Amino acid sequence: MQSMSDMDWGIMAPEWVIAIACALLIVVDLFLKNTASRRWIGFLSLLAVGMAGGWVITQFRHKSAMILDGAYILAPYTLIWKIILLTGAALVLLVSLGQEKKEYEPHEGEYYYLLLTAVLGGMIVVSTADLIGLYTGLELLSLSSYILVGIQKKKNRSNEAAWKYVVLGGVSSAFILYGMSFLYGLTGTTHVGEIQKQLSQVGSSYEAYVYLSFFLMMVGFGFKLASAPFHTWAPDVYQGAPTPITSFLAIVSKSVTFALVLIVYMAYAGPYGEFQEDMIILFMIMATLSMIIGNTVALRQTNVKRMMAYSSIAHAGYVLVAVATGNQILIPIVFFYLFVYLFMTIGVFAVIALVAEQEKSEDLKAFAGLYHRSPLLALSMSVFLLSLAGIPVTAGFFGKFYIIMGALELNHIWLIAVMIVTTIISYYYYFAVIRQMYFRRPASSDPVRVSWPMKVAIGISLIATMGIGIMPQFVLETLQSLLR
Amino acid sequence: MEKSYLSLAIFFLLGIALPMVALFFGRLLRPHRPLPEKAITYESGVDPTGDSWVQFHVRYYLFALLFVIFDVEAVFLYPWAVSYDLLRTEMGLFILVEMTIFVLFLLIGLIYAWKKKVLEWR
Repeated sequence: MQSMSDMDWGIMAPEWVIAIACALLIVVDLFLKNTASRRWIGFLSLLAVGMAGGWVITQFRHKSAMILDGAYILAPYTLIWKIILLTGAALVLLVSLGQEKKEYEPHEGEYYYLLLTAVLGGMIVVSTADLIGLYTGLELLSLSSYILVGIQKKKNRSNEAAWKYVVLGGVSSAFILYGMSFLYGLTGTTHVGEIQKQLSQVGSSYEAYVYLSFFLMMVGFGFKLASAPFHTWAPDVYQGAPTPITSFLAIVSKSVTFALVLIVYMAYAGPYGEFQEDMIILFMIMATLSMIIGNTVALRQTNVKRMMAYSSIAHAGYVLVAVATGNQILIPIVFFYLFVYLFMTIGVFAVIALVAEQEKSEDLKAFAGLYHRSPLLALSMSVFLLSLAGIPVTAGFFGKFYIIMGALELNHIWLIAVMIVTTIISYYYYFAVIRQMYFRRPASSDPVRVSWPMKVAIGISLIATMGIGIMPQFVLETLQSLLR
Repeated sequence: MEKSYLSLAIFFLLGIALPMVALFFGRLLRPHRPLPEKAITYESGVDPTGDSWVQFHVRYYLFALLFVIFDVEAVFLYPWAVSYDLLRTEMGLFILVEMTIFVLFLLIGLIYAWKKKVLEWR
């Protein structure tokens, strides 16, 4: 056995950067006077995220490696996950810094370092193939996000959201843990690769337990993904949380859970019995329900954040279509979709944060006549919304297009049919916002003030969304070559 | 496999039977003369006063939280300290570094509690 101190701890550097930055910022925040501005803690967090991201990029040249007996892996796919998480976190931090009146004023310092711990949890999840590591990382992410959701202590809606999130999140964690315990009981190991080997030998004689463990875990993952029929918490939590945190939940938490699903999937990938097909059917049911429920219930929403919550349920469904096929070829497409989703969602939430701040309302009507007040802002919002809707020749369209092509090759015709129909339904509610922006009279004619971090966040999202829309093939091929 | 379930079943039945038998025979053998004094809850000879549903002050929960943190720390530190020599020959100084990191993070927790005035009774 390799000795612990001889291990190449350097490959964990991105995690160390975040962990150390977090510890330092906690102490700094504690010794700072209560009246002092905490804004620069946010910038330091941004710096830490940037440093970790830069390190991850240099690691692409590093050959694949693992330490701690395979509990920590450095491979191209873990690095791409980390890029997604860190980009998401950086943009969320920018949006938070760009808000003029913070929704969480007295706890600003805590807000920033809790974002860091949440990202750290996510990074642990994506770079491990050990059930214990997966669970620890997931809990670090979840516990931090529970607090972040409820950080506006004095607001009833925020309290309600945090309460719901904590209870349902706890229940889902219990489900995941119970499912994992069956896997450990059957195989005697917590390492996913080992579990796969063991299960392909003994799986067929203990089929009931294999099914049970997978089913329990899927319930837990369904909750964390906010995919139907486990989505009921999402609208309330998304509405009650501060807007940047809502986008964080939609992007980072969701991506991490997808990583988790894909890793756990590997454990069951061994060949035995009918299990494989049944597993795919379960995924398909979840995907279909998410697409249908997300897109139809969104039609009736008047609160933009609630509408976006249903939209994110639907998008979880689209990605689940790619996951459901269980084909390794589709993994670059999952990455592609999550990248696209990241940028367009952050963009939308940044604009929502700005408008909600100005109008003191998150209603659809708050967007009335935005084009006449701030044409540029309205234009970028339209780009994000069109991309989310998947209008041809936008980034979102290509994301869906690739998923459909992938599913077509594997002959999942009815899944594709549901996806196309629900996408067309979704046009209606995305266009409802656009209609408000262009064809309704504004209540006031003052332009919306946009602070510079907000400009940077929206600018990056806009450039990325348009860039991916212009050259989708290049991005997809880059992802494929990185994963090879 | 079956044998272990059998012994479990025997234990289960014994566990149910024992108190039932004991109480049943006790009831047959003992004299039955109830007095109001005998019906009082036994509290080491002192007459019980007030309700049994006593409310503790809510502020205690903070101490409980702090206690849990350091209780867990102790749980981890004990086996570590006991097997320190063995671990050291196997893993070298790493084992010390690892525990230092753990304790440092808990120390941040203590500093946090102190700065947030958890240790003061307000």
